[in-house]
Amino acid sequence: MTVNLSTSAFYAKATGQMTTLRGEANELQEQVGTGQRLTRSSEDPVAAARLRTLSRSDRLAEIDQTGSDTAMSELELVDSALGSMADIVFRVQELATQAATGTLSPAQRAALGVEVADLRSTLVTIANGENGAGHALFGGQGAGSAYTDNAGIITYAGSATGKAIDLGDGQQVLPSLTGPEVLEFQVDGAPTDLFAVLGTLASALEGDGTDPVAASQAALTGLGAGLEKITTSQTIIGARMNWVELMDDRRTTNGELRASETEQLGSADLATTLSRLQQVMTVLEASQASFVQLSSLSLFSQLN
Amino acid sequence: MASDLLSIGASGAKAARAALDVTAQNIANASSTGYVRRSVQIEEVAAAGGLLRANDISLSGARIASLHRNADMFRQAEVRRTNSDVTRSASELEGLQNIETSLEQSGVYTSIVEFEASLQRLATDAVDSSLRAAALASADAMAAKFNIAASSIATAAEGLQFDATSDVDQANQVGRELARINLGLARAGAGSSDQAALLDRRDLLLEQLSGVADVSTTFAADGTVAVKLGGAAGATFVQGKDAATLTMTSAADGTIAFAVGGAALTLNGGSLAGAQAGLAATVEYRTQLDAVADSIAATVNTAQGNGADLTGATGTAMFSGSGAAGMALALTSGSQIAAAASGSAADSRDSTNLAVLRADLGTLDPAGGMNMLLFDVSSRVAARELTHEALETIASSAQVSLQEQAGVDLDTEAANLIRYQQAFQASSRAMQVATELFDTLVAIG
Repeated sequence: MTVNLSTSAFYAKATGQMTTLRGEANELQEQVGTGQRLTRSSEDPVAAARLRTLSRSDRLAEIDQTGSDTAMSELELVDSALGSMADIVFRVQELATQAATGTLSPAQRAALGVEVADLRSTLVTIANGENGAGHALFGGQGAGSAYTDNAGIITYAGSATGKAIDLGDGQQVLPSLTGPEVLEFQVDGAPTDLFAVLGTLASALEGDGTDPVAASQAALTGLGAGLEKITTSQTIIGARMNWVELMDDRRTTNGELRASETEQLGSADLATTLSRLQQVMTVLEASQASFVQLSSLSLFSQLN
Repeated sequence: MASDLLSIGASGAKAARAALDVTAQNIANASSTGYVRRSVQIEEVAAAGGLLRANDISLSGARIASLHRNADMFRQAEVRRTNSDVTRSASELEGLQNIETSLEQSGVYTSIVEFEASLQRLATDAVDSSLRAAALASADAMAAKFNIAASSIATAAEGLQFDATSDVDQANQVGRELARINLGLARAGAGSSDQAALLDRRDLLLEQLSGVADVSTTFAADGTVAVKLGGAAGATFVQGKDAATLTMTSAADGTIAFAVGGAALTLNGGSLAGAQAGLAATVEYRTQLDAVADSIAATVNTAQGNGADLTGATGTAMFSGSGAAGMALALTSGSQIAAAASGSAADSRDSTNLAVLRADLGTLDPAGGMNMLLFDVSSRVAARELTHEALETIASSAQVSLQEQAGVDLDTEAANLIRYQQAFQASSRAMQVATELFDTLVAIG
């Protein structure tokens, strides 16, 4: 059987093959240039859908990280505030011990009383500290300051519970404690707080008529209970910091896993892509050369 | 004497000359679209012996019997059939790719994730005015992205409709032209160059028509063609010298339907069928996109209504409008986001309602829904691309196979040129011999 290969069929075939090869080479070149295997979802719908989910998780993890950072800095603020409170209690304990000896003159006691009163107002300032966003550090979810000073009477004005911050994976952390959780305690079954203990001591030392020695001894009991409460709070805050760090580590690990999956799904492997590109180019060059050779083989060029 | 050497030589020279003309015509049209290679059939002219001249020699030379057109009906039918398939899949694929691009490049998915992220960020400090402003800005961006996606889908649909309208016009034009050619063919002589040219034109038009719609053809002995649209069971489009009119109607939702001479028509191939399928898919995906937009708006607005904003007032709807195209941000200030529980005081740091909103959005999972929508359309595009590639290969091999058979091969024509030139020279030589014979006879006298 003879095949009648018409001239136009020859050209159509040759150009068709070369166009296909050029298209393939172009696509590979694009992959090398962008480093991405996919330019449109339809090139690999399943991988593209997975990549979208991964990018969403990445974005939300970023926000979790911001939340975690906020929580951490607030916990650090609380920790340092608790440290300062403990220092104040130590100092007042020293002063109360001095006052409890009974060998001091009233004037000396009054001087100690003034210092206790000063320390008390410092304690109020610390308890009314603010976090990075300007909210009361120990005020729970209250809108204003944590404590109000009403003619020497210090009252808690915040809410009963704090505001938890999301750390991702459904986990939350309370970045602070409320004022009562740190400063309120019981002495001999009666509820009291540090402000009251300090206030009573200061006024007894300054000479309000009560027995300063007995008042100092009573204050020492209260201060012991108060210090214990503050130390316990420091332990709680330390544990929460650990928890936040643990969640940070977990997030970093998950992020790395996501990054490696993204790399696998969406990135063009340079070695494979380049060698395929080389292969396609070689075939393209060969078919171009053979096309030029064949198309010059016309009977007309042999006729004179 | 019944034979005349001079006239035999002359007829041979004439036949060879005609064959040379046809060869030259073939060479000239080697790359003309739709041109089918012609060849001449030369036959002997001889008379049978008559009365009392039973064994006499009666030769009159040669003549061109007919102009043969080397068309293969089967290969032409294959080209038309595969062409219909490939144009249908091309225009459907184009429609789907446009939808894919609209949904993907508009960044709806990313904007939904950003909206979720901004709400999550707001949850760390619900009274922070910059976080509230950021949440509102991301809501605005999301509504805008939905608008962009909807309008680019609408533009893609308009493009498909526009193409379909011009295709319908083209089909009607081709139909009228075919009817005129039928008239010409009925009058043309069989084997004439006139008929061959008309047949070339007829086949070219049928191929064009097959690109627009699937056609079924019936050829009469004289070369006239009856065309049906929509396959063998479809509606008659061209019959003899009459051509019907193809019409297109578009429904309110953007889908299109066809009719021939008023009777509804179902097309299975050609760019019109592809446009119809593409527009149906457009409606389908637009509805799904609208559903995602509406569900987000409904969830957010309900939650807003159940909470209190920064001034303590009951929250108002965050989004207005319906559908992806109509979605718009209704709030003007970040303070209007109802993060606190209903009945909370002004400037409350409570974020109970925001937590409820986030939980509701988590249950609704609009990002997941959008992801599925994108997956759906992209996997459909991927599947159609594969089909299209296969159909293209089939169509181009059918085309090449027809060209191989019906096209002009320059080498063959070069050989023919030499062959017929030699035949012409030989016939001329025979005429010269006749002259010399005559001269010899005169010299005797």
